[in-house]
Amino acid sequence: MDRLFHKFLRARKIPSTACSGCGLGQVHKRVLLALERLDLGPDDVVWGTGIGCAGRQTFNTWRGDNFAGTHGRVYAIAAGLRVALGPGKKIVLTAGDGDAFGIGLKHLLNCARRNVDMTVVVADNLGYQSTGGQFGITTPRGSVTDSSPYGLNEPGWLGGGLDVLEILKAAGATYLARHLSLDGASSVESLVMALENPGFSLVHFIYPCVTHFGAVTLGERDKGKILGSFRAMFAGGGKGGPTDRDDGRGGETDGGGRKDPGPQAGSGPVSGDPAFRLKRGTYHDGRGLRPEFAASLIAWTKNVREGAGR
Amino acid sequence: MLRLFDTGNRSVTEAAILCGLNFYSGYPITPATEIAENMSRRLPLAGGYYVQGEDETAALHMAVGASLGGMRAMTSTSGPGYVLYADPYGWAIGGEIPVVILNAQRVGPVSGITGAPGQGEFYLSRYPTHGGNFETIVLAPEGVREAFAMTVEAFRLSERFRTPVTILADQLVTDGWEAFEVPETREELESLGLPLPDRASHPGPDFYPDNTLIDVPPVVLGRGTGGACSDWTPTREGYDTEEIGEQMRHARRLVGKVLDNRGLIDRSESVCLDDDPRLVLVSYGSPSRTVRRAVREARARGLKVGAVRLRSLWPFQDKLFQAPGRDHLVVELNCDGQLVREVSRASGREARFLGRCGELPKVSELLEAVTLLLDGKKIDGGYWAEKHGGVFR
Repeated sequence: MDRLFHKFLRARKIPSTACSGCGLGQVHKRVLLALERLDLGPDDVVWGTGIGCAGRQTFNTWRGDNFAGTHGRVYAIAAGLRVALGPGKKIVLTAGDGDAFGIGLKHLLNCARRNVDMTVVVADNLGYQSTGGQFGITTPRGSVTDSSPYGLNEPGWLGGGLDVLEILKAAGATYLARHLSLDGASSVESLVMALENPGFSLVHFIYPCVTHFGAVTLGERDKGKILGSFRAMFAGGGKGGPTDRDDGRGGETDGGGRKDPGPQAGSGPVSGDPAFRLKRGTYHDGRGLRPEFAASLIAWTKNVREGAGR
Repeated sequence: MLRLFDTGNRSVTEAAILCGLNFYSGYPITPATEIAENMSRRLPLAGGYYVQGEDETAALHMAVGASLGGMRAMTSTSGPGYVLYADPYGWAIGGEIPVVILNAQRVGPVSGITGAPGQGEFYLSRYPTHGGNFETIVLAPEGVREAFAMTVEAFRLSERFRTPVTILADQLVTDGWEAFEVPETREELESLGLPLPDRASHPGPDFYPDNTLIDVPPVVLGRGTGGACSDWTPTREGYDTEEIGEQMRHARRLVGKVLDNRGLIDRSESVCLDDDPRLVLVSYGSPSRTVRRAVREARARGLKVGAVRLRSLWPFQDKLFQAPGRDHLVVELNCDGQLVREVSRASGREARFLGRCGELPKVSELLEAVTLLLDGKKIDGGYWAEKHGGVFR
C-alpha cells in the first residue's frame, strides 16, 4: 500500500477513521490497483463520493480533484460534471449501498440509461452502518438489525429473486461486476474493465462491517469469519452450496423448487436467502455497445450548430 | 438593439445565452416550461448544452455539477420544483458554487393552480435549504424587460459571490408578453456589462478562504488544482472536518461575504417618496405594476401616498422601511402574508396587508384601501384584518 499511497493518496486522510477490521480499505486498494494498471494518475481522475461509510472514508483521499455530493445525488452531479469535463478525464465515484441503491437509485438508473461515462464503486456493507446499523436495501431478509429487532420482514435487492444489478442492466448500464472485498486479482480485473468502459460502469463490492452488521446481525466481529458467512449467505440453497441456477440471477424458488416463505419473526440471526446466489466477477459486459452521454451530446450539439450554419 | 415581442421565458433565455450560458438542465413545469423549451432550441445553436433531468433535484445537481466543472450553468422551475432544489441548493451554497435559478412562482400550496401567479416562496427563497449559517441572494423582476436585465445581473452576482442566485419571478412575469430589447452591437452589449468575464478557477490550496471577500474564483474540478468541494464543513483546503472552529469560520464566510458586500446586491425602486408620504405601499414582482398605477392615480386625486418596490428580496433591505412615522401597506400575491412580516419587523410597526391569491389586485381595490387607511379607518377583511389590521377578501 505504501507505493499506492505515495502515488495516489493524500497524507492527511490516511489512515482513515474506519473501524478496525472494516473491509473498506480493501475495496479502496483494489480501485487504486486498477488505476495503476491503467497508468492513470491524479490528474486523470476526478473522484467523487457519496454519503455514508463508503463515501466519507474515501472523500479527499485522492491526490487529484475530489468532490463529495449530497446523499444519493452524486450520480446526477457527475452527469453534469461529465459534460463540463469532456472526454479524457475519468470520473470515479465511491459510495455505499444506501447511497447508490436506496436514496440515489433514480439518479443511478438515469446515469445508466444515458450511459454516462463514470465508474461507480459501490462498497456495500449490507445496511446503514454509519448511522449505527439499520437495515437497508440489500440487507438479507430475516436480518436482525437495530431497526429490525425481530428480523427483517421485507425483501432486499439481493434475494427473493431480486438482484439490483439486474435492474441496472435493464436500465442500460454497459459494465457491471460484483465481488466480495476479499477478491483480489479478479476484482482488480473487473475494475480495469469498468474504468476502460467509455460509459456507465458499476462494480458492486460486498464487504464486512465488523461493528454493526457483523457484531449485531451475524454475532461475529472477525472479518474473515464474516466473509465466510457472506459466502454461505449468498451461496443459495443454504450452507455454502450453489443452487442449480448458476446465472447470477436469483430465482422465484430455491434449488428444490419450493416457494420462499420468507422469514419468521424472531427466527434469529439471518440464515441467508435461499433464492440468491452470489456470482463473483463480471455480471454484464456491454462495453462500447451504446453511445456515451456526454460524447454524443457534444457531437450532437456540434452537428446542430453546424447544420444551422449551412 | 433587436426589439422582440415575447414572454419573460424568452427574455430570460436570451439574456442567459448572451451571458455565455454553457449548460442548462431543466425539468418541465408550468409556468417555467418555456424556458426549458427555448433553451433546447436556442442553446445548442450558441454552443451550449441542454439537458433534462429526471426530476428537479437531478436538474439542479447536474447544473451545479457542470458549474463545478467550469461551465456557466442555470436551471428554472416553479414552486413544486423549487422545493425539490433544497438538496443541491444547499450543496452549492456550502461548496460556494455559482449557479443561477429562476422560480416562476405560481399559486399554491402544493400544485395549486398551474397558470395563476403566486408569491408563496418569499421565505423559501431565504431558506431554500436546511441548516442555516448562510445568506441567499434573490432578485425579483416585475416584467419581461426587467427579467432580461436581472438574468444578466444574476449571473454576475452568482459568480462574484460564488453562490446560487434565485430570480424570484412569478407566472405573469414568465408567461406575460411584452416588448424587450436584446443588445446586438458591441456597444450595446458593453452597456450591459457583457460579455461577462470568463469563469475563473481557484488555483488552491485555500479554496475556502478565511475572510468574507468576494471575487474569489470558485473551485473548478478537472484543472489539476487538487480542488476539493463537498457537502461537509470544509477546512480552508476543502477537507471535511468536524472541528467547531472550522464550522464557525465557514459560517462567518457564507453569511459575511453576502452581508459585507450587500451594496452590490441591494436594489429597489421608489415611487412618489420625495415628499415623505405617511402611507407607503410595498410590493415586489408583478403586483408592483398595479401598485405603481394605483399610487399615481391616488396622487392625481391628491392622496399623499408612495410606494417601495423591492427589486432584490434577500438580503432584506431593512433600511427602506425605517423612515419615522411611516405606515406600510404590503401588497402580495398570497393570503398568508409573507413580505408583510419582514416589513413589520424592519419598520418596527405592524404593517397593513392586502393579499390576493392567483390574480393581481385591482387598481380600484388598492385605491379604496389607501383611501380608508388615510382616513384612519380599518380596511375590511377577515383573519389578517383582525390579527394585523390588513385586508383579506
